[in-house]
Amino acid sequence: MIKLDSNTKKQLIDLYETKKIGLEGNITKMIEADGDTELLQYLENCINRDKENRKKRLEVTRQVQTQNSELQKLNDENQRIMSELQQTLKEVEESKMTYEVQNRELNEWKQDNLRLTEELKTEMVKSEQARLEAEKAKTSAETDLDLLQKKKQFELINTIVKIALFVIIGVGLTTTALYLTAMFTDKDTQIIGSTWSNMFGILLTNAFSIVGTIMGVKYASEKKD
Amino acid sequence: MMIDSILLVDDEDLFHLVFEDACSLLDISLSLRSMNSSDEAAKLFKEWSVGDKSQRPECVFVDLNIIGSSFDGIELIRKINFEYGNHVVIGIISSSNEPEEQSKALQAGAQFWIIKSDDIEPRLEEFKKDYQGYKNRTNPFKVYR
Repeated sequence: MIKLDSNTKKQLIDLYETKKIGLEGNITKMIEADGDTELLQYLENCINRDKENRKKRLEVTRQVQTQNSELQKLNDENQRIMSELQQTLKEVEESKMTYEVQNRELNEWKQDNLRLTEELKTEMVKSEQARLEAEKAKTSAETDLDLLQKKKQFELINTIVKIALFVIIGVGLTTTALYLTAMFTDKDTQIIGSTWSNMFGILLTNAFSIVGTIMGVKYASEKKD
Repeated sequence: MMIDSILLVDDEDLFHLVFEDACSLLDISLSLRSMNSSDEAAKLFKEWSVGDKSQRPECVFVDLNIIGSSFDGIELIRKINFEYGNHVVIGIISSSNEPEEQSKALQAGAQFWIIKSDDIEPRLEEFKKDYQGYKNRTNPFKVYR
């Protein structure tokens, strides 16, 4: 414990009374009053004053602590939200990247598709051209075949007509020659004459029949075309 | 009775002020020293264990989680008790009320556990009443809620 001399005591008490400046803190509890009522009163005043100040400071400190605690909670919440936000942003970024990759792939597919469409169009045009050419070739072939058939038919008819004419002319000439020979050699011409006339009639009939047949065939062929 | 000297190890500076004012108002101790780091406290106890033991505080209050330190309050208590000699009243002062942690603190040699809150004075007042038992090592481990 500390003991104060009378001069120090007087100065301390005067300072407190004139300027309200007193001892503070635990030092006030370390001073021995030694039954001095004036000093006891001074120390009691200082201790009470110190207690009041400490109470006030404690109250303020508590408020600050409470505010700090709330701020800490808010900060934690803020950090949690920030963390979630960052996570969300990261996910969005990843989604964006995925989307971009997909978009790029889709664009590539689109480009491929367009290229294939163009190629398909070109191939279709070529195919159409080929089809037209094939049809043209078919038409040409059909025309050629028809012409060939007609030519063959015509040649056949021509051959038939020629052979028929040769036969008719040959038979006619032969019969006529036999008839003339019989006439100039004074042989009996009754049979040969009637035969000649019959033969001639038959030949004429057959000739007209052939001509009619040929005309009919020709008519039928034209109608078929 | 008043405690001769107290050491508070807590990373929260504001709590130093609260604790000092509460101790002064309750006349718990005239001598209070505060520290922010368990490393610093361990270093001092190590020095005191081989040097001048009169400087050693009579009672130590340690926060459970001391941010910025190499080890927590329970480890500091273990070091003080088992590495540097068990000669002080020591316990935890923390806002935590985990029985598992309290059990660990007891195993490390803590004698009490005071739960921090806005209104610390009633608990310190109760602790002051029980202090003699802690000093004599007759009181069991107690949690001040």
